[in-house]
Amino acid sequence: MLRCAFVVLSIVLGVAVGQASARPSAQLTVYAAASLTDVFPKIDSGQRYQFGGSNTLAAQITQGAPADVFASANMTLPTQLFAKGLCSKPVVFTRNTLVVVVPKANPASIHGIYDLAKAGVKLVVAGPGVPVGSYTLQILKNMNLSGRVLKNVVSRETDVREVLAKVALGEADAGFVYSTDAKTVSGKVTIVKVPAWAQPKVQYGICVVSRSTDKADAQAFIKRVLSKAGQARMLQYGFLPRVKRKTR
Amino acid sequence: MQRALLSWLVGAAALVTLAFLALPVVAIFAHTTPRHLVEQLSNPVVRDAFLVSLKTSLIAQALILLLGTPTAFLLATRRFRGHAVAVTLVELPLVLPPAVAGIGLLAAFGRLGLLGSTFDALGITLPFTQTAVTIAVAYVASPLYIRQAIAAFEATDPTLAAASRTLGAGPTRTFFRVVLPLARGGLIAGLALSFARGLGEFGATIMFAGSLQRVTQTLPLAIYAEFDRNFDATLAMSGVLVLVSVLLLLGLRIGLTWPRSASNRSLYLFGPSASG
Repeated sequence: MLRCAFVVLSIVLGVAVGQASARPSAQLTVYAAASLTDVFPKIDSGQRYQFGGSNTLAAQITQGAPADVFASANMTLPTQLFAKGLCSKPVVFTRNTLVVVVPKANPASIHGIYDLAKAGVKLVVAGPGVPVGSYTLQILKNMNLSGRVLKNVVSRETDVREVLAKVALGEADAGFVYSTDAKTVSGKVTIVKVPAWAQPKVQYGICVVSRSTDKADAQAFIKRVLSKAGQARMLQYGFLPRVKRKTR
Repeated sequence: MQRALLSWLVGAAALVTLAFLALPVVAIFAHTTPRHLVEQLSNPVVRDAFLVSLKTSLIAQALILLLGTPTAFLLATRRFRGHAVAVTLVELPLVLPPAVAGIGLLAAFGRLGLLGSTFDALGITLPFTQTAVTIAVAYVASPLYIRQAIAAFEATDPTLAAASRTLGAGPTRTFFRVVLPLARGGLIAGLALSFARGLGEFGATIMFAGSLQRVTQTLPLAIYAEFDRNFDATLAMSGVLVLVSVLLLLGLRIGLTWPRSASNRSLYLFGPSASG
């Protein structure tokens, strides 16, 4: 009886190992910024996605993670990978803007950015290495609010969706996220706009990871994102066109 | 022939297992030079994380000890209606995924949680404070102590406690002078387990308390935060945790086996004989 169980266990293990090493052929592994969680599967539902803070994903790729495509919320991280020979030359595929979100109940009565400097406000931001975190620091620097607002930070999260969650749950008084993220929980949060002149240049970069064994498919995926249909989908979710339209 | 093959297979399996368990630990120290690791100990992120971890873990352990010991004693020595439910409640955090524990803590003690408005009225807010870290650590670590304590108390010979009572000692004196020393081994083992678990807590902490250097960023949280910015710091903090774990096990072995009689010659710290 025990011997039977042992044999069965070995077979199960063998099958499991076999499955693990036999990669499903046409499915790519796309490492993408957390803010792309909703839109990327809509552009291409057939791929395997891993969403998270772009800096964590980049670090994992550096450590040898089996990604085929890397889509980051900035150009800095993929450019760094390119300099190390870990991915192809990145291209800009979309842009975004930042907003402040507050819970629907607005417990700290935040009606404008300057209210974030009030005493006792519980502000949640992403860590400085996360793209949205560094964009936040840039905004505060542009508005000359760094010292007064940053002392209200109660937590530094690892990606933008965690910032959003803490605000949507009502635990934090305010958080800096992308305008596209705010749209996903519009019933739970209110948006406080960041003035256009203070917005940093937010450009998302995408590249083919050098270790990929599916470079042709990866290239095709990127083409799909850059195509008219892909770009239309991004605009539908609130992202900005990848090339800024020249205002006359 | 068959016997030789069998012993070869068993030996090979053991070798693979031991290597598998040893490799990650060895790799932490072998990945970079010892000098880099020691340099990182003066990194403020590392130092602050260590202090937060130490403080919250010690306070959590004190709470677990003070509240968990009488709970375990009650559950071990009395049988009452709902006893099974109580034991299940005690064991629940053990099998609950830490992230779920974090959500639960938010749902209970968060601003909009069950007790949120009560705390608000008292002027207490828990999320994002160091107290929240202590609570999260205590929640996930307590079942490890309580379960071991229940087993330890159950293993004590009730006739010895009875004898103490017939000799005139009151229940309190009996507990502290007879029962507790008898159960000492199991209690210490439980404490070590729960301390180690608390030190490594991540999911519930980041959900309930957030992560801010010097306030709520414990060693595991700092490891995750520094992973992409300063891998040397990550290795140093991991090394610290490995050393603490080794010291815990060593101290435990010494504590349990040193003034012992021959009846406690167990090799295993957390096995059934540890309550001897």
